[in-house]
Amino acid sequence: MTPALRVEGLAKSYGEIRALDAVGFEVERGEVFGLLGPNGAGKSTTIEILEGFVRRDAGTVEVLGVDPGDPRQLPGLRTRIGVVLQELAVEPFFTVRQVLERNAGFYPNPRPVDEVIELVGLSEKRDAKIKRLSGGQQRRLDIGLGIIGNPELLFLDEPTTGLDPAARRTTWDLIRLLASEGTTVVMSSHYMDEVEALAGRVAVLSRGRVAALSTTTSLGGRDRGEATIRFTLPAGVAVSDLPVTVSRVDGDAVEVRTAHEVDDLHALTGWARERGLASLGLRVTRETLEDIYLALTGPEGGESARSEP
Amino acid sequence: MTATSDPSAPSRRWTRDLRLVAHQVKFEQLAFWVNRVGAVFTVGFSVVFLVMLGASDGNQRVATLGGARLITYYVPGFIAYGVMAAGFTTLAITIVVRRETGLLKRLRLSPMPTWVLLTSIFVSTAIVAVVQFLLLLVIGRVAYHVAFPSSWLALVVAVLVGVVSFSAMGVAISTLVPNQETAGPVTSIVFFVLLFLAGLYFPLPAGSGLARFSNYLPVRHLILAMDRPFDIPRGVSPWAWHDLLAVALWGAGATLVALRRFRWSPRRP
Repeated sequence: MTPALRVEGLAKSYGEIRALDAVGFEVERGEVFGLLGPNGAGKSTTIEILEGFVRRDAGTVEVLGVDPGDPRQLPGLRTRIGVVLQELAVEPFFTVRQVLERNAGFYPNPRPVDEVIELVGLSEKRDAKIKRLSGGQQRRLDIGLGIIGNPELLFLDEPTTGLDPAARRTTWDLIRLLASEGTTVVMSSHYMDEVEALAGRVAVLSRGRVAALSTTTSLGGRDRGEATIRFTLPAGVAVSDLPVTVSRVDGDAVEVRTAHEVDDLHALTGWARERGLASLGLRVTRETLEDIYLALTGPEGGESARSEP
Repeated sequence: MTATSDPSAPSRRWTRDLRLVAHQVKFEQLAFWVNRVGAVFTVGFSVVFLVMLGASDGNQRVATLGGARLITYYVPGFIAYGVMAAGFTTLAITIVVRRETGLLKRLRLSPMPTWVLLTSIFVSTAIVAVVQFLLLLVIGRVAYHVAFPSSWLALVVAVLVGVVSFSAMGVAISTLVPNQETAGPVTSIVFFVLLFLAGLYFPLPAGSGLARFSNYLPVRHLILAMDRPFDIPRGVSPWAWHDLLAVALWGAGATLVALRRFRWSPRRP
């Protein structure tokens, strides 16, 4: 079976601004894949190209084995993908059932409307006007519209932006449920916790480039167990006297990045005891996904990419 | 390559697409009538205006109409109003709201072909225009003894030309409106100023400055094209070709603007 997505050397410019530059990744069937990055990093542009909404300037793109930039293949492709946009795009005057029935009519093999209502947890609201739904319920309906056509691949563009924490949770649960049914999900987000909670693999986009591409658990070498040992250099000791390999010194603050923190701590504490030092001010930390994300995307994130001439 | 290409023959695709148009028209109609604002603004206003104006000065005979009663001008005038309200104002506001909330983009990303969406919108607008057109004719006949048109065909053609042209103008102006907050005020102000200039509320004397000015605008031409099929002296054609052409030209110009400027996606902050 062809992969769900294959992207190679993807480039897109808006006028002078390079929105995407040599972006590449692959997504297998059944995966939940995250596109992570700050605003303006190119997540939405990438998704819009994959959906066939925006034309690319260069590169190869295959969605379910089909080029979305080919106008002859696009109509067929659109019956096989589902799309959920950043905006809560649901008509306020329709009822839940009406809007699902309407959209079901667009597809050759839609899922039964009642099944979708059940799946997104809106059984009690099936005849309620959409404007009477809470933000979280509207988002779930929105995702219901994304899957009404029985898609092989579902795009979710920042599915929880603007939702309150409780609504985020129920949306996450729904995405997990869909993934467990075997739907391939490609989602963008600027929330690290969201991608960590849902996606198996992630591409971090920064200023239109892929800054990192790996499984969520191994992003930035997290799985290699690299830890940072920090301590204060005792008076009268030179860095070269220390029994460990030092990564960084700032005044008397010493930083040791190591994959063997047990050995290094043992060496350090043994060395300190020999010299009768009661305290080194030792701290051991591990990088959070947030640290890695900020290191990859830079402190200014993607905002500067937009304003660059 | 996976075996996913559509094997259906062109004829089957046509019937499927036509079914899709019917399906979408059904929901466009539902959205229109359930929303109420559009229904009140289009059908409601034209009925209320006709009844109010008819009751106040409808039986007055006016020189600019060759001594005919004002009400015989108001009936076609408000049929024209309904066509314009449905095609121009309501459609423009609907498009802006759908665009800015992401609904248009979502429809664009669904398998529904763009022409099906546009056709459904035009058909739905035409249905609204026909409903209020029949309503006004009946009210005019029953309450004010206004005769039915002497040429139904000329009136129906005028309604269709009006629906298509003013729908195109509605789409065109929707591209000039930045967001949903300004959609209502902007289109309504433009619309009511145009109506006033075109003499909807009181017929303009031919050759007056205002009549000459509004000859460059489409609204007066539509009113005149609707008026002609009604009360025609012997030997005069019920077809106001000149006015129909002027309306159609505005429609064509608006189509060019719409094609050049149409956006599917909302403006991002």
